[in-house]
Amino acid sequence: MTHSTWPEWIYIGVVTAILVWVGADSWYIEHLLDKVPEDAKIIKVTGQQWFWSFEHDDGTKEVGELHLKQGQPYKFEVMSKDVIHSFNIPDYTVLMDAVPGRVNTIWFVPEEAGEFPIQCREYCGLIHYNMRGTLYVEGT
Amino acid sequence: MRNAYLAISLIILFILPTVSLAFGEDKPGEYLNRRAEVWNLFFRMTTAAFVIGSVVSGTLIWLIWRFRESHPQNKNPTKWETGETH
Repeated sequence: MTHSTWPEWIYIGVVTAILVWVGADSWYIEHLLDKVPEDAKIIKVTGQQWFWSFEHDDGTKEVGELHLKQGQPYKFEVMSKDVIHSFNIPDYTVLMDAVPGRVNTIWFVPEEAGEFPIQCREYCGLIHYNMRGTLYVEGT
Repeated sequence: MRNAYLAISLIILFILPTVSLAFGEDKPGEYLNRRAEVWNLFFRMTTAAFVIGSVVSGTLIWLIWRFRESHPQNKNPTKWETGETH
């Protein structure tokens, strides 16, 4: 090689370092968000064409709407009865696929009281656009 | 040097996650504001993407500017172009 290569190695080093940091940071946050708090209450979420139904841990069932308490962590067990759906509460960045034959989990703490939309985020047929629900967070 | 980079990349991509899965603590998590964590991550990643974009495109722009035929420093042919090296 007839020329100096150190600028190239610095260039490669900087770009590699940034990419490594991108991967490591994303991995760390993803794992941080995976850990469910001990006192989380379990809600079974079932998607089917074209509505959402919910079952609380005391057996109470709800269809199309979900009532939760502010400041309480909840773990959703998301499943589907027919095709693939995706359970989404945009205001709380909750998004998890509902896949037939599989239980996917995701948890969150509703920190604000109010009404928030729930929607399906995976095209699931004719009335996908209207596969919505409402999350009611009751203040403490 | 190349082997070192390859080793570091492999460790970060495969070995660390595998070790973490195998020996990972199963402690319950803390209350987290999911929205804040996810959006903060998004903004950090956006910053990284723009930095890499600037570095790469900046280098390309500089290369094109520096090695154009009309650049004063390219007035005389290099020794490689004149064949004087042989």
